[in-house]
Amino acid sequence: MSIELLLALITGAALFGVGIYGALSQTNLVMIMMGVELILAGAMVNLLAFWRYLHPDNPAGQMFVLIIMTVMAIEMAVGFGVAIARFRAKGSVEMEEATELKG
Amino acid sequence: MTAQMFFIGFFGLASVWFGIVVFRTFSMVRSALALLFSQTALGAMFLSMQAEFLGVLQIMMMATEMSIMAIFMVMFMMDPGGLGEMDMTHQKRLSLGAGIVAFVAAVAVAVFVDWGPIADVAPDAAQQTVDLGLELLGRSMLIFETAGITILTAMIAATAVAIPPVKRKPSKGATHHEH
Amino acid sequence: MNLIAIAILAPLVAAVLILLLRRAPAALSLLGTVIGLIASIGLLTNAFAGVAGALTLPGLPDMPLLLVATPLTALLSTLVAVVCIFVMIYAVGYMKKDDEKVRFSATLLLFAAAMQTLVLAGDWILLLAAWELIGLSSYLLIGFWYRRPGVTSAATRAFMVTRSADLGLYIAVFILIATTGSSDIATTLNMGGSAAIVAGLLLLVAAMGKSAQTPLHDWLQRAMAGPTPVSALLHSATLVAAGAILLIRTAPMLPAETLLVIGIVGGITTVVTGLIALGENDLKRLLAASTSSQYGLMLLAVGAGVPLAALLHLIAHAAIKSALFLGAGVFQHSRDGTTFGKLEGAGRDQPRIFFGFALAALALAGIPPLSGFFSKDAIIAASLASSDAWLLASFALAGTLLTGAYMARALSILWHGDRQKRSIPGLGWMGAGLAGLVTLAVILGAFFPSIETLLRASLAEDENTLAQILGLSAALSGLALGWFISGERLLGPLLPWSQRGFAVAGGMDNLLVRPAFAIARRCEKLERSLYTGVLAVGRLGLNIGRGARFGDERGIDGLIFALVRGTINLGNRARTLQSGLIHREMAITVVGAALIFAILFIPLLFF
Repeated sequence: MSIELLLALITGAALFGVGIYGALSQTNLVMIMMGVELILAGAMVNLLAFWRYLHPDNPAGQMFVLIIMTVMAIEMAVGFGVAIARFRAKGSVEMEEATELKG
Repeated sequence: MTAQMFFIGFFGLASVWFGIVVFRTFSMVRSALALLFSQTALGAMFLSMQAEFLGVLQIMMMATEMSIMAIFMVMFMMDPGGLGEMDMTHQKRLSLGAGIVAFVAAVAVAVFVDWGPIADVAPDAAQQTVDLGLELLGRSMLIFETAGITILTAMIAATAVAIPPVKRKPSKGATHHEH
Repeated sequence: MNLIAIAILAPLVAAVLILLLRRAPAALSLLGTVIGLIASIGLLTNAFAGVAGALTLPGLPDMPLLLVATPLTALLSTLVAVVCIFVMIYAVGYMKKDDEKVRFSATLLLFAAAMQTLVLAGDWILLLAAWELIGLSSYLLIGFWYRRPGVTSAATRAFMVTRSADLGLYIAVFILIATTGSSDIATTLNMGGSAAIVAGLLLLVAAMGKSAQTPLHDWLQRAMAGPTPVSALLHSATLVAAGAILLIRTAPMLPAETLLVIGIVGGITTVVTGLIALGENDLKRLLAASTSSQYGLMLLAVGAGVPLAALLHLIAHAAIKSALFLGAGVFQHSRDGTTFGKLEGAGRDQPRIFFGFALAALALAGIPPLSGFFSKDAIIAASLASSDAWLLASFALAGTLLTGAYMARALSILWHGDRQKRSIPGLGWMGAGLAGLVTLAVILGAFFPSIETLLRASLAEDENTLAQILGLSAALSGLALGWFISGERLLGPLLPWSQRGFAVAGGMDNLLVRPAFAIARRCEKLERSLYTGVLAVGRLGLNIGRGARFGDERGIDGLIFALVRGTINLGNRARTLQSGLIHREMAITVVGAALIFAILFIPLLFF
């Protein structure tokens, strides 16, 4: 049992928990996106720690981190696009006012 | 206690601290900057875990991203400085509970799982980059290409969504009118 | 084709044709009767030549249906056909203004066919069938004007009385067939012994019903509610004659005891109904009572042991009484009624009709050289020659006296009164029919010797002069009494009795009709309860159906609708989860993911 691995995993867990709290508690679309960023960051830490301390000879772990970065970028881009469009339409990105998706 | 252990712990703590700060300030610009710091600390943590390429990539990307976010906040938010100290949260207890439960569960998994033998030595940086490149263009080529195309699609979609709609002249006999 | 078949089928086919075509009823009925008459005359000619026709039809096993043309049956068949044709001619005029000529002609022809079958029948079963048929068609004809008040009750009464008496015929036929083992009439005539006495008495009951003998005479007078041609045909010449014909045909087998009973019944009838006729206030009812009286005379002749006399009187009476009825029908049309109050002087309106009527009346009274004289003379002679001469002869003479009295009374009323002139539609046809029958009534006496030779029997010649003197003096004194003294005064204390039809102990009403109606009422009650039962069964079925429907609606449908409602409610419940708020949905996502993880990982911890 390596202390480094444990530290990295605890960091990831903490980031994940903070991210969930943020994503659930915030009313602003951009702030929700920040929570999601933190969740993904937690996942990235975990993946990199697994690569470094369990399978350093397998580059797939790094590849996954790269993919998550891609996902973060995509999320940012689409999120900002939606935010701008919504801002244009409603003048605000407060998600408590958005009930268009109501079924 | 090795230097690696220290740096991992230090940067991890910094990352988590700044992550918490993101949701504890009323200023959205400050939130964005805190997130920037958190991600940068994470990049530093990557570096201390001997993943040079990814660490540098993380720092560069997140710096850009979070700068954009900060600018966005200034552009669109009614109170980016948080001077009104308005509470912008809801369902706090559920969120807090969910976050704590998720944290505790993840820590429990991390602590109680037998992770097996630990590798001490990581390949050097140049070898890592070569391996990653070969991985991306070999075994995982399909994933990589999918990711690339997805990014392209996302760029186009985000631009299309963000561009203001073109006002067209209402055609004759149109069934409804724009107001 | 056999002449017997033609004699029966011609009227029947005409009836069917009339019912099918529903037009030209007069022409078709005349055609049918004429063909039937030709066939009957053919049969009679064959009989004169000594050829007996027969027709065997498949019937019951060992009991084929027989139609025979013996001299007697051929003679009767001709009589029926002749009267039929004249009545049909008359009816063309009589029914000119009636709307239902089709029904009338068809029923009359049906009756003619049935009557021909009856007289030509050679076995008891066919005779029974024809007997029933004439009963039915007489019911239909009496009730022809069923919308008029009292007509249906008269028809029902006639049917009831004759039907009740018919029971006698049924039992008699059963006894005859059971004793001899054959349904052939000719065979059964040879039987004797106590069975013959019983059967003869039962046949007498049947004949009393049909021939309206006391105490069953009441229905005939009520039957005058029918159209006059019906009265002329049925109630003088044919239907009523059926009873006498039955006895004449079975006379050879009747033992002396039965004959005596028949004679007494006939004698009582001729006196009683003669008195009734004297007290009547209605021409047709008078004629009806007279009919009963004359048939009483015929039964008396049978009882005296000379059925030939009865037959001769039957033939003469058929022509005479039909003619009288036809004349009465003309007066009825001329004065819109048949009560004597209305008919006073009606004879002066139509002197030629009155002349015919008077000729027939004199014939009935027995004035030479008219036909009635010969036949009545034969009867009186027979009664004088019988073993109980004092009894039967006094009955016969009293009957003759009464006949003269009531006929003279009728003539006097018709002649004394004011003239009224009015035109009668169809008088030509009616006059033709009447003329034919009056001619027959006048000249029939000339044919009696040939009939005697035909039947190979002759009347007793001794004491004939005495009989002629007695009969003629009775008839003449009767005529004188009737002409000069009113019927009421003649009857004296007997008048109320006579007007009540000499009803003994309430008459047949109490004895037959009331019990019959009581039985009918009880049957109706039974039927009504059966009907209620059937209705209850139906209602039960309906209730079961309603229950099944209820089960369907509340059970199966309810289940399905409950399922649907539950699904919709569930959907509405689930819809509230879809708030559209991002944070809510994210919370749900998180909690759901946590649940899934828990479900996936908890088993891993234990196994």
